[in-house]
Amino acid sequence: MMEMILQALREAWFGFVDGVSTYTPRVLALLFVALLGWLVAAALAFVTRHLLAAARFNALAKRFGAEDLLRASELPAPNVMAASLVFWLVWVGFLLSGVDAIGFAGAGSLTADFMQFIPRLLVAVMILAVGMLAATFAWRATLLAAVNARLPSARLVSAGVRSLIVILAVAMALEQIAVATTVVLTAFAIAFGAVMLALAIAFGIGGGDIARRTLEHQFPERERPEPGAGASHL
Amino acid sequence: MPAPRLLSDELVHDLIAVGQVDVLVGIPSLNHADCIATVVRAAHAGLDRSFVRERTVVINVDGGSTDGTADVVRGAGRGESETLSLPSGLRTRHRISAPYHGVPGKAGALRMLFAMADLLQARAVAVLDPEVTSIDPNWVTSLVRPVLRDGADFVAPAYARHPLDGPLVSQLIRPLVRAAYGVRLLEPVGGEFACSAGFAGRALAETPWDESRVRDAPDIWLTSLAITRDVHLGQAALGPRVVAPRDSRPALPVVLAQVMGAILFGLERHEAWWIARGASEPVPMFGDLAVVESEPPRLDADAMAAAFREGVSQLGPLLEDMLEPAVLAAIREAAGEAEPHLDDALWTSVVYQFIAAHHRRRMHGAHVLQALVPLYLGRAAGFVTCGTRDAAAVSARLEALALEFERARPELVRRWNPDPGR
Repeated sequence: MMEMILQALREAWFGFVDGVSTYTPRVLALLFVALLGWLVAAALAFVTRHLLAAARFNALAKRFGAEDLLRASELPAPNVMAASLVFWLVWVGFLLSGVDAIGFAGAGSLTADFMQFIPRLLVAVMILAVGMLAATFAWRATLLAAVNARLPSARLVSAGVRSLIVILAVAMALEQIAVATTVVLTAFAIAFGAVMLALAIAFGIGGGDIARRTLEHQFPERERPEPGAGASHL
Repeated sequence: MPAPRLLSDELVHDLIAVGQVDVLVGIPSLNHADCIATVVRAAHAGLDRSFVRERTVVINVDGGSTDGTADVVRGAGRGESETLSLPSGLRTRHRISAPYHGVPGKAGALRMLFAMADLLQARAVAVLDPEVTSIDPNWVTSLVRPVLRDGADFVAPAYARHPLDGPLVSQLIRPLVRAAYGVRLLEPVGGEFACSAGFAGRALAETPWDESRVRDAPDIWLTSLAITRDVHLGQAALGPRVVAPRDSRPALPVVLAQVMGAILFGLERHEAWWIARGASEPVPMFGDLAVVESEPPRLDADAMAAAFREGVSQLGPLLEDMLEPAVLAAIREAAGEAEPHLDDALWTSVVYQFIAAHHRRRMHGAHVLQALVPLYLGRAAGFVTCGTRDAAAVSARLEALALEFERARPELVRRWNPDPGR
């Protein structure tokens, strides 16, 4: 009986030792890859951050309107954000490679999924960047046109235009990286439809006087002199 | 030879029938049936009166009018055909009405006129605005004679008007052209001009006709081309300029953006020339410019001041990107006053900083120029309401503004080219 117990313990011990001897190098490899990945990611993030700073990326982002948005969200400067993105992409890539080395079932597909995710993430970032650019351009154009036409609430109207385009870009980006696709699309459709309906109701029913004044302003009878008549200034 | 490519076979046939001419008077048009007859008659009368011995042709270049402009031009004479030959004086007077294709606008018409002048070997080319109702035959004489007899290559118009008239010209365009290019032209954006055959050929060859900013305001481009090619400049003293009323005129933001866009395009194209330029020089005036004491129709200064205040209030984030904090603070202070007043130094700084913002692409160029509109209205409101209305006194104020633009010229150069060593 005792012999059987000792035999079982011996087999368990040998199994444990065998497991440790098998997995210890792999865990050490994982730790090494993680450490190496961290160093590489940190170095790349450092280079990215300073290269973008030297290339005046923040000024460019300011023109796109991205810097204002980040500042409003209490997020770091655009070059720091881009460096963070590079850091995490590189480090997660190394970590998944390390996990793959351990040989856990399913780790291989995790790495493959991540590699497939990176292009979609980059496309989503591009969509966001273009969306920001379009939103800022439309905001400026709307604000200037409204101010020069002396329309009321120029800032409100232009901010609304910018928000709509930003929301559209965010929804498209989230759909691209397949984050809660159905929820995002449904929420966007409901929100967009609600905003349009609210605007139509507000303008058509609640703002009848504003609508009349706006139309009168747009199609004046040209009786009174106005600052907008260009020929009279030449 | 660019001419054959621009001109249709039929038109070349008509031009060959006309033969070589001394003076070509061009009248671009687009739906000007209501007013062009006056200009056509004035052109012929001017040629008959002052250029009896010269071979002349009046050419209407039409951009596709749908209101019967070509019929009106033909009806202004005695014939029914597209090409008329009217015996008058010692020479045969020719008149041609020709359509042109492409983007409708004055630039396309001018290009075609220059090509025709090249084919006809015209010694002088004069261009008249079809909308001017105050034109008289002397305008043609005043424009063409300096080219034919005094050796001028480019003759700009000088209109008889009260110095309070046309604040966009007096407060922005004239002092800016004077300070940047160093020439004292009264009307850099006049609708009429005359030029020599040599300059017409240069303009035909050197003008970027497909550039939208040239198409928007070709007069400004031609003026800058004449200045920077060091040709003989002149100004022709014309009478008062009154244009026919139109149902639709471009709004001020459009006009300002077009004119300033063309000026800034010229500054970019001729950068090396104007940066090296020194103090301004007068441009010879041909004829006596009448003194106009009667005030022009008053602009609505209250509306302009209100637009200025609203613009400063609403456009804060954009103005912060283009103006230095001290200048913006002074603008905001002016906006808080009952009667806004932007003094000469402040206005000059505003203009130069906007030009720098446009040149350095701080934002889309059209947006920069649109953002200037409320500030211009603030300056113009102060100009038309502040101080005396006496013509001599107002002229003195305009001269002071022009001198301030010139004094601050180094600031413009520095902002334009902050690192000249690179």
